[in-house]
Amino acid sequence: MIPLPPDIALAQQVVLGDPARLTNRPAPVWDPARMALLADLSRTLLAMPAARALPDVVTFAYWARAAHLKALSREAAHPDPPRVGLGLVFHICPSNVPVNVAFSMAFGLLAGNTGVLRLPSADSPTITALVDGLAAVLARPEHAALAEALLLVRYARNDAVNAVWSARADGRVVWGGDATVQHMRGFPMPPRAREVSFPDRYSLCSLKAEAVLALDDAGLEALCGQLYADVYIMEQAACSSPQLIAWVGDAETVTQAQARLWPAFAAHVKGRHPLAPIRAMDKFVAACDSALAEDVRAVHRHGNTLYRVDLAGLRPEQESCRGYAGTLHEVVLDSLDALAPIVTDRYQTLTTFGHPRDDLARFVTAHGLRGIDRVVPVGQALDMGVIWDGYDIIGSLSRVIDIR
Amino acid sequence: MPESHDRPAEPVTDWPCFGLGGAEKRDRMLAEMRRLTAHHRAACAPYRAIVDKLGFANEDRIAALEDVPFLPVRLFKRQRLLSVPEADVVKTMTSSGTSGQSRSQIFLDKATSALQVKVLSRIMAEVMGPKRLPMLVIDCRATVADRYRFSARTAGILGFSMFGRDVCYALDDDMTLNPERTRAFLDKHAGQDILVFGFTFIVWRHLVRALEAARETLHLDRGILIHGGGWKQLQAEAVAPDAFRRGIADVTGMTRVHNYYGMVEQTGSIFMECAAGFLHASAWSEILIRDPVDFTPLPPGETGLIHLLSVIPHSYPGHSLLSEDIGQVLGRDDCPCGRMGTRLRIDGRLEHAEIRGCSDTFAA
Repeated sequence: MIPLPPDIALAQQVVLGDPARLTNRPAPVWDPARMALLADLSRTLLAMPAARALPDVVTFAYWARAAHLKALSREAAHPDPPRVGLGLVFHICPSNVPVNVAFSMAFGLLAGNTGVLRLPSADSPTITALVDGLAAVLARPEHAALAEALLLVRYARNDAVNAVWSARADGRVVWGGDATVQHMRGFPMPPRAREVSFPDRYSLCSLKAEAVLALDDAGLEALCGQLYADVYIMEQAACSSPQLIAWVGDAETVTQAQARLWPAFAAHVKGRHPLAPIRAMDKFVAACDSALAEDVRAVHRHGNTLYRVDLAGLRPEQESCRGYAGTLHEVVLDSLDALAPIVTDRYQTLTTFGHPRDDLARFVTAHGLRGIDRVVPVGQALDMGVIWDGYDIIGSLSRVIDIR
Repeated sequence: MPESHDRPAEPVTDWPCFGLGGAEKRDRMLAEMRRLTAHHRAACAPYRAIVDKLGFANEDRIAALEDVPFLPVRLFKRQRLLSVPEADVVKTMTSSGTSGQSRSQIFLDKATSALQVKVLSRIMAEVMGPKRLPMLVIDCRATVADRYRFSARTAGILGFSMFGRDVCYALDDDMTLNPERTRAFLDKHAGQDILVFGFTFIVWRHLVRALEAARETLHLDRGILIHGGGWKQLQAEAVAPDAFRRGIADVTGMTRVHNYYGMVEQTGSIFMECAAGFLHASAWSEILIRDPVDFTPLPPGETGLIHLLSVIPHSYPGHSLLSEDIGQVLGRDDCPCGRMGTRLRIDGRLEHAEIRGCSDTFAA
């Protein structure tokens, strides 16, 4: 049991769990009981109509199914010596990507920890579905023992609550970007405690023009579907959502590839993606703003579905150049190597299409890049792994016991 | 055949205020929109960049009002947009914006400023006659006295004050009604028409509600109320136009009540409510409705974003603006009040969802 001062207990709203029962006793990593809980959650969510309607929840549910968790545990690089959790992990969950509440919780549990999760203060269908699913699963007798390993709370901006949970945490997971990470650093944790934090990142996509031109119609449609998943499911709000499309090829080939891909892509998106009116306005205002920059040659508008900001070249501070809800910046390069000078430690995910694997491997190793933690095929930008943002998350949230 | 972009032979201020309809209104507005689009493209580099880079029609390709390029109203909160040299700016207007956001900046030269006054005078004359009237402001003096708190309210009161004389503020600085001062003013001007001006939510809360609560009345049967600005932070207290008129009539006897719709970005060419209860575009403005998601034009009777056209803005590129207000065109040239032109209804504003981004864990 973790005692809380009464005023703190009042300041937070308990969404799920019981603070009085909470434990900080660690469990082994990849504990079968915890994998069973997540697998059950996966089945439960997929059976809930409200959850099935949410692409992000469905993505998590597929990730958490039994077979996939088993595969992940086999791939994990820590079978022996034994690893156990740190104890209690305090999670600051992001509101821009609500489904990461579920991933953060799952990583913490699988690493053998108790999780105290601060949910985003704004309600969302995703959070509601996840909490409902989790409540149903935890109510089952076979998972009763795990009730002491989870607490979901919600509180308005309140540094006293942040301080109390930080002081009791053996680990802290902070989502939400630079400002939040810096803010949370102000709350001391016990000396042995660790932190896994996710500051602002920038992600991009590189398409090889000749490979796009070589596609048949079915292949083009498949590429559109993959780009759609990367760009629109999170409306480019996730750190791994591509902001920049870096075409590789000569100017003429790229022009032809653009003429082939973008109308097909806009048609693919239209009707699939429900754009909120305020997003459409935000997007239009941002497009007007960006037109004022000299290196912007045009803002191609495919209705309001897709905006493409045609850049004359890469910017020195390309990473500050983001788009929302379907605004892609576009640049034409001779080769991948041209990207190297702009890559800073902000760069996270490079999604690619049509590049030979050797080119990619050489690119990420040959230039002494301080960034780019993931290189994945188009369509997998949002696929959450146990390796994320350069962290082995399960490893980071657990400790090794050296037995000789 | 592209038309000449020179100034029209007949000054726009000679146009009949509510007498233009059908093709005549459309053609005159279209010619002005072409001329202004050409003017701002030539005189305002940022405007030109937006129009050209976003693929809007330039003046030679504008075949209908729907083709006129439009800027989002919000852009004036983000960029300094001028179509005259800085030295020609005689006045900068600002708007308060919603809840602490940045303010619009609107730069006026002499000509644009004069055109605002002329057009507003013509529209006001339709409801109050050509002469200045004794004016009762439903607000407090502090609203205009404190220049550091310059707001949409300040601008509105000062702007409309040019149609009044012997101005009296009905409210004390703590926003309570001062019945003694108000009655003395009304006694002094007994038997005359009185111009009454205030913001909708202030008139409702601090005049109507206050009189109701005090079980008092004022004798304002010769009053002409001009009110605008909507309900702002008092959205929960909002009442329908009919109930608003009834409430006013019950406590003041005032039946000449005119709501107006307008924005600082198109000051002058306001939309005034007629006796039949409909907002009207005057000769100098026009309204289009656009789909809130894809911005395609919508026919009368459908609800969407308000796109405002005005012939006034010359010193800044504000002749065609996409607002964040929601409403519909109810009809054209068909109002029971006899006015020609477009009548419209405002239903509210775009809902502002939370700003998504990577740094917003604590934003909400």
